[in-house]
Amino acid sequence: MSTNDHHHDGHGGNGHGHSNERMVSVRVLRQENPHSGSHWESFEVPYEHGMNITTVLLRIAANPVTTDHHETTPIAYDSCCLEEVCGACTMVINDRVRQGCSALVENLLKDSPEGITLQPMTKFPVVRDLLVNRKPMFESLKKIKAWVHVDGYYDLGGGPRISQKEQEKAYPLSCCMTCGCCVEACPQFNDHSAFIGPAAISQAVLFNAHPTAKVDRDDRLAVLSGAGGITDCGNSQNCVKVCPKGIPLTDSIAQTGRDTTIYKFRQWFGR
Amino acid sequence: MSEPGIESKPSAPPADYHFLVKRLHSLSGLVPIGAFLVIHLLTNARILAPGLVPGEEFQKGVDQIHGLGPMLLPVEIVFIFLPLLFHSLVGFQIMRTGKNNPRYYHYNSNIRYSLQRWTGVIAFFFIMYHVWQMHWFGEPIGGGKFDPEHAALSAAKAIQSVWWIAPIYAIGVVASVFHLTNGIWTSLITWGVTIKPRSQRAAGYVCATFGVIVALIGLGALNGFKRFGADTVIPKSSHTMAGESDRNVG
Repeated sequence: MSTNDHHHDGHGGNGHGHSNERMVSVRVLRQENPHSGSHWESFEVPYEHGMNITTVLLRIAANPVTTDHHETTPIAYDSCCLEEVCGACTMVINDRVRQGCSALVENLLKDSPEGITLQPMTKFPVVRDLLVNRKPMFESLKKIKAWVHVDGYYDLGGGPRISQKEQEKAYPLSCCMTCGCCVEACPQFNDHSAFIGPAAISQAVLFNAHPTAKVDRDDRLAVLSGAGGITDCGNSQNCVKVCPKGIPLTDSIAQTGRDTTIYKFRQWFGR
Repeated sequence: MSEPGIESKPSAPPADYHFLVKRLHSLSGLVPIGAFLVIHLLTNARILAPGLVPGEEFQKGVDQIHGLGPMLLPVEIVFIFLPLLFHSLVGFQIMRTGKNNPRYYHYNSNIRYSLQRWTGVIAFFFIMYHVWQMHWFGEPIGGGKFDPEHAALSAAKAIQSVWWIAPIYAIGVVASVFHLTNGIWTSLITWGVTIKPRSQRAAGYVCATFGVIVALIGLGALNGFKRFGADTVIPKSSHTMAGESDRNVG
């Protein structure tokens, strides 16, 4: 705010008079394509009140010149909703996974005054720069049948009623946007483990609790009790702490521990 | 399709086998290994009990165990060594599938996740050393210092022989007790006993209390062996020792 007071001429103070402006140093881990190596590039972006990481990336795109005056390309990244409900702009900001849209530069600089680092998530294949392919997460959702099975050629009528209590339990789980934060922070989710991750486990709990989706309950529990399922969880509980939607992922994990225990004992010792 | 990393995910081995192995890993850590550790440390702590002859109480405990006679070896193998070997092998396999990251995500539970792996490794090598040093298995290769006929004296001599042995035991005991305590806490989640954060927190306090008590018993016993012979022969110290033994053994 005090920086703006000095600008008697420039309303908003954008673009000109760089010498008087507060600059934000941004380091970005860049990668040309899925097969190339990665390298760091540094940028100086004029600070704007209320700016987030999306703003930073837009400013760099408008003037893609590095700190040492090299012309470069705009940074590729994914984004959609810009209000932390789609999960597309998830990236590693100052070594922690989160959404770019809800990461305010002002707050980031409080914790790290020397600048901001942006990296793509490390648990997914990089497409380009900060853009990753989150397909493994969707593959996990397919494995646990994260849907209500109502395909048919005729009108099945209204579904069963869901009590207020059940709705209140289901709603937080339904907020998952498959953003990837939980698996990025999970020490058990990586390229040498088959773990499907907290998000998929939690979705299985959501659909197993649904009166119609329940028909696939045993199929889901079969996957969850298999390799890459619940037994690969290491209880670091990072998932629940980094989840931007506050989903009770560890509740879902413990619930799945209980459900698979019962399911397996049922399997081993008959019905 | 040219999507690197996606198809490279390991394919799933037979599912039934996987679940059974992981749950047996969890169970074996509690019973028999965890139960054995507690009994072992409690038996050791009897070195602190007063008696007419120093180490008499500890000798009684050892005699009880060796009362199994020819059954002792099969019991040791089935209830201690095989479960330990199984638990360790699966444990190292689990370690291989994880990538610790407490540097970036320094939450308590994440630090405990890393500690669980490190204490497991420490406990594994400590137990190998301990078995070599004390058990008759180690005799052909220069170990096997424990003599059940002269339990207190032989154990104390082994512990006191070189200065660094007691610190190694202290580290080994604390690591093992942490591994057990944190293992109890995670097993309650694994088996689906504690689900809500509130119950997990409560279980955390109970486990931490249990861990501190067991660790103190273990370290107290270690101190007993370390000091054995130094002041136990002096009769006037027997009163303070009685006070300690009530707390630790009872």
